[in-house]
Amino acid sequence: MAALAHSDDTPGVLDVHSLLRTIRNGLIVVVALSLIVVILTAFLRPLIASVKVDESVTTTLAQLVILVLPYIAYIAAGSAVRDQLSDHPLRAVLTALLATLVLFVVISIGHFVFHLGPFVPTSSLEMTFTEAEGGALVESLVPGGVAEEAGVQVGDLITAVRRDPVTSGTLSALIARSAEDSPFRLRIVRGGEETQLTVRTVLAGNDDLGKLLPGLVVALIVTAVAIFWPGQWTPYVILLAILLPLLIGYFWLIIATFSYRTEGLIPLDGQGNVGGWTLNNWNFLFGADISGLNVSIWQITLNSLIIAVAMMVIVLLVSSMAGYALSRMNFAGRRAFLSFTLVLHGFPAVTLLIPIFFVMSYLGKVPLVGEFIGFNKPVGISLVMVAFELPLGVWLMKGFFDNIPWDIERSALIDGASRWRTYWEILLPQIRPGILALGIFAFIGGWNAFLIPQTYSTGAGTINLPVFLRQLINETAPVNWNQVAAVGMFQLIPVFIIFIFAQEYLLNIYAGGTKGSS
Amino acid sequence: MEVKIENLKKQFGQVIGVKDLDLNVRDGEFVALLGPSGCGKTTTLLMLAGIYKPTDGTIRFGDRVVNQVQPRDRNIGMVFQSYALYPHMTVFGNISYPLKLKKVPKQEQMERVERVANTMGIGGLLDRRPGQLSGGQQQRVALGRALVKEPDILLFDEPLSNLDARLRLTMRSEIKQLQNRLGITAIYVTHDQVEAMTMADRIAVMNQGVLQAFDTPEDLYDRPKTLFVAGFVGNPPMNFADVSVMAEHGGFTARNESIRLQVPAERGQKAAAAGKVRMGIRPEDIHVVDEGDAVTAEVVIVEPLGRDAMLDVRFGSDQFLVLADPQKHIRAGDQVKLHFDMDSVQFFDLQSERSLLWN
Amino acid sequence: MTQPTTTLDDQFTAAESRTRRSRKKSLSSNMAAYGFLAPAGFLVITFFLVPVVIIFYLSMTNLSTSNFTTDLSAMQFVGLENFRILFNDQFAAKIFFNTVFYVLVTLSLFNVTLALIVSLLSTHIERRAGFAFRAIWILPRITAATVYIMLWRRLAVEAPYGIINQVNTLLGQTTYNYLDARPWEFVIVVNGFIGVSFGMIIFTSAIESIPKDLLNASLVDGSTILQRIRYVILPLLRWPLLFVVTYQTLSLLTSFEQILLLTDGGPGLYATEVWSLTAYHRALSNYFGNAQWGYGSAFAVVLVIIGVVLAVIYMRVFRFNELVAEPKIEVL
Repeated sequence: MAALAHSDDTPGVLDVHSLLRTIRNGLIVVVALSLIVVILTAFLRPLIASVKVDESVTTTLAQLVILVLPYIAYIAAGSAVRDQLSDHPLRAVLTALLATLVLFVVISIGHFVFHLGPFVPTSSLEMTFTEAEGGALVESLVPGGVAEEAGVQVGDLITAVRRDPVTSGTLSALIARSAEDSPFRLRIVRGGEETQLTVRTVLAGNDDLGKLLPGLVVALIVTAVAIFWPGQWTPYVILLAILLPLLIGYFWLIIATFSYRTEGLIPLDGQGNVGGWTLNNWNFLFGADISGLNVSIWQITLNSLIIAVAMMVIVLLVSSMAGYALSRMNFAGRRAFLSFTLVLHGFPAVTLLIPIFFVMSYLGKVPLVGEFIGFNKPVGISLVMVAFELPLGVWLMKGFFDNIPWDIERSALIDGASRWRTYWEILLPQIRPGILALGIFAFIGGWNAFLIPQTYSTGAGTINLPVFLRQLINETAPVNWNQVAAVGMFQLIPVFIIFIFAQEYLLNIYAGGTKGSS
Repeated sequence: MEVKIENLKKQFGQVIGVKDLDLNVRDGEFVALLGPSGCGKTTTLLMLAGIYKPTDGTIRFGDRVVNQVQPRDRNIGMVFQSYALYPHMTVFGNISYPLKLKKVPKQEQMERVERVANTMGIGGLLDRRPGQLSGGQQQRVALGRALVKEPDILLFDEPLSNLDARLRLTMRSEIKQLQNRLGITAIYVTHDQVEAMTMADRIAVMNQGVLQAFDTPEDLYDRPKTLFVAGFVGNPPMNFADVSVMAEHGGFTARNESIRLQVPAERGQKAAAAGKVRMGIRPEDIHVVDEGDAVTAEVVIVEPLGRDAMLDVRFGSDQFLVLADPQKHIRAGDQVKLHFDMDSVQFFDLQSERSLLWN
Repeated sequence: MTQPTTTLDDQFTAAESRTRRSRKKSLSSNMAAYGFLAPAGFLVITFFLVPVVIIFYLSMTNLSTSNFTTDLSAMQFVGLENFRILFNDQFAAKIFFNTVFYVLVTLSLFNVTLALIVSLLSTHIERRAGFAFRAIWILPRITAATVYIMLWRRLAVEAPYGIINQVNTLLGQTTYNYLDARPWEFVIVVNGFIGVSFGMIIFTSAIESIPKDLLNASLVDGSTILQRIRYVILPLLRWPLLFVVTYQTLSLLTSFEQILLLTDGGPGLYATEVWSLTAYHRALSNYFGNAQWGYGSAFAVVLVIIGVVLAVIYMRVFRFNELVAEPKIEVL
């Protein structure tokens, strides 16, 4: 392709056509992304505000687009010359860098006009200062500005904000970080005497063209990288970048579990030094208090396990039986049953939580079995969740049974087996992958169950790990986050183990057994 | 065990699988159900097995009507095309499964399985699983499982079609010998006519759910009762041409615009009454000759078959298949002289498609 | 059991005879199948059918903490009063639009767009790497909601503990508690990250089921990878896309577990409250002191009706053809 398009090129340092095309590519990006910003801020934001939804999502998205817009434009310019790289490397690089320069000017004009990027208004005290011994020395004041109004004079030495000593650098950072109209109580030494003045920040426009230079350097670097970037890495980088928040979250969990305390992702010891590695967070396994609560973690774990195992066994048995009948047997009303299963499969069971509360309390009154399946009983709670997962399970099992050759079942019938024995002895062993997948799914569902146990159980006797975690987090007393993290990790370990060994099954089943739909 | 099928019919929704089938299988007989795919032969077999229920008609095993009898109470053995071995059980488990279901004592199970396995030559494989066996071995296991309960009737559903050509030959004679020795009534579904011709005592030819003929292999080949049977049985297939048969000069001639052939009196007489008829003649009954009273034809394609060369020849508007000696080195485009051996010629009515000779 | 049909060739009669036959099918043959279905049937009746009836009834009573009873006959029937209140409730209006906003934004950004991006990218790289990336996306689904939310909270909380604020501090930016300052962003991202995997799996299996020859042919014909995505792959994803949209709309509309744990509808009054969460709050979560079973049920009934309608449509559009195949064994 490339060779064909450029076979009639005249040799030279620069090809105007190619330059114009490169600039055009970059401009298309600028225009398209600007359009998105306009739609978000001028159209969507007022629309959503008009129905009284308090949101800043449109603003955040617009800010994000504005932030990445220049870089995407430069990358577009850089990528546009990649196909000329092998034939005319020097010309390609020059074209791209020149185009970037043009784009940079266009974008900077846009930034200047709309007060964006380097020209975005920042918090300011409307004065300048330089580094001096013991603080920041006031160098100039904006006439009529907040500092002058408050009584600051040129030559004042600012030593501290409230009680915290400042230098010129820390003071600028503090100002930049503050929101609009935040008070700064400045400690000032003026002619040997110390006074205190309070100045409130204002948002001040920013028109220092000198701030553009670093931006230009970055722009040229981005373009250069885009020209020589190994293209096959792009999908990996994007995929990783999207996953980053998630990976950071799990990473924090692991760090927090094994450290005294954490700030951000940094583990700290009691004195605030980096480090502080400890196993003490895991002492709850041996009966220690968790975040001040004394509970038996093993009782709670057992409850979790009972719910998970009960759910797995019942879901497997019930849905494989129903799936077998729907797949392999001919009976009056078969089509009706199938349609009904499908409708249930789509129906959101969670909307029925309120009336199920009543059903549970009625079940609790049934003689004998009511002891086990009513309100506030692990098995009863499992049954609700079994019912919720049944439509999926039945549909999935039916699909697996559908794939078994008919001859095997016919053969078993001729050999003298009843339908029950055929199901149990001949067919079930053939759908082992299906049993495994649904079993894992049901087990994880039960092990992680939060909403239903939370809703239908009270008291420490029946709560499971996720509900217990919620109680820890909602404690009014100060929470030891690293101990709570350890409990979370403890809950997560079995899931991680299953994840490592059964990813394929999980990937198949979490689409809801919808393989055939595409 | 005798099998009597009367007026049997099977419908799937609006599709007719089998239509008004009458068939009597004698005790100890080996009957093949032969036909193209979708002709209703497997449906018939599954009705005999009890997997499908007849829409109408009756099936009798001996004197007992079995329409409503469950498969497990019919005492039949069946071998499937896919063998249908239970993949999670060993060979022993597979063969003993029918006995286990009949609650035969463990000791007896072992003895009977061993006996059957030894007969089938798979005595050494009892601990293996089906996945570890070759196609031929799986076939033997399937057969062993069908035989171990000493069934009254053996059903075969294209059991050899998944085997390679050599193995198919061996298994063909093995099954036939075994059936002969045990004297069990066998019903064998196949679409392979060589299999049917070589194994069966009688062959039931089916097409589109309707029984076309039920005869011995010899009768089917030499005295086909319908045009379908004549065309279906035999490979390469019979040649057909529409001719008029007339009495001429004291004999009979069959003629159309390109051929004119003397017909033996006995056959000619039956055909002459009908006016325009369809004549059928098998490739092996046409000979390439160097001279004599012959039809001249142009060779279109030559297919070497090894022992013979098959010629696709054309004369007038008719196109015939002819077998010739490959030594003659006939090539496409050559003109050849053909002699028709009219002693085995067939004639069919154009409307009813029934034979004018054998009904 | 079997009835002879008189005119074989008449399709109408044949179809008629089939229904007649299945009605007269022997009792024992049906009993076996019903036996297999019985346990599932019991659970479905107990936890789907009976609750649907109860919730319609509850929504027409004024049951609350003050007159609470589980005896249906003792509840005070108020007709459609709850729905009248609901339609005039200004908070209900706000919650309604909150829900629309939440579903549309999450669906369009994550459940569809990001899912599509992930499946396209992960099918254009080395097979095993692609599989690994997709597998990681399953993690949010298999992590217990409480743990999952704990991780996101750690990203969002104020300096010095919050991870985002740690970055902000390093860059000299303003720090604040994101759950207070940017609640919707977090509600959407947190749910979106769970929702990606569904569409991702559906799209991926659709992409992988495109014949390799077709994909190679388009490259041979001179298209670039991007052009192939645009002109070959995307057009073939139309049905999966529709499927994901309908299915995920319903699940976003009705699931509220993560919002409950993350913001619980706050901060402030109903800032991130959605419809399904309201039903739960009103009836089952006593934070406001007075549980209103009747009024909460009225909220839930709206979702039940939407759920049934969408589920029926979904069944008709996507799955009905799968029902056609009939069993190939007719005994028992």
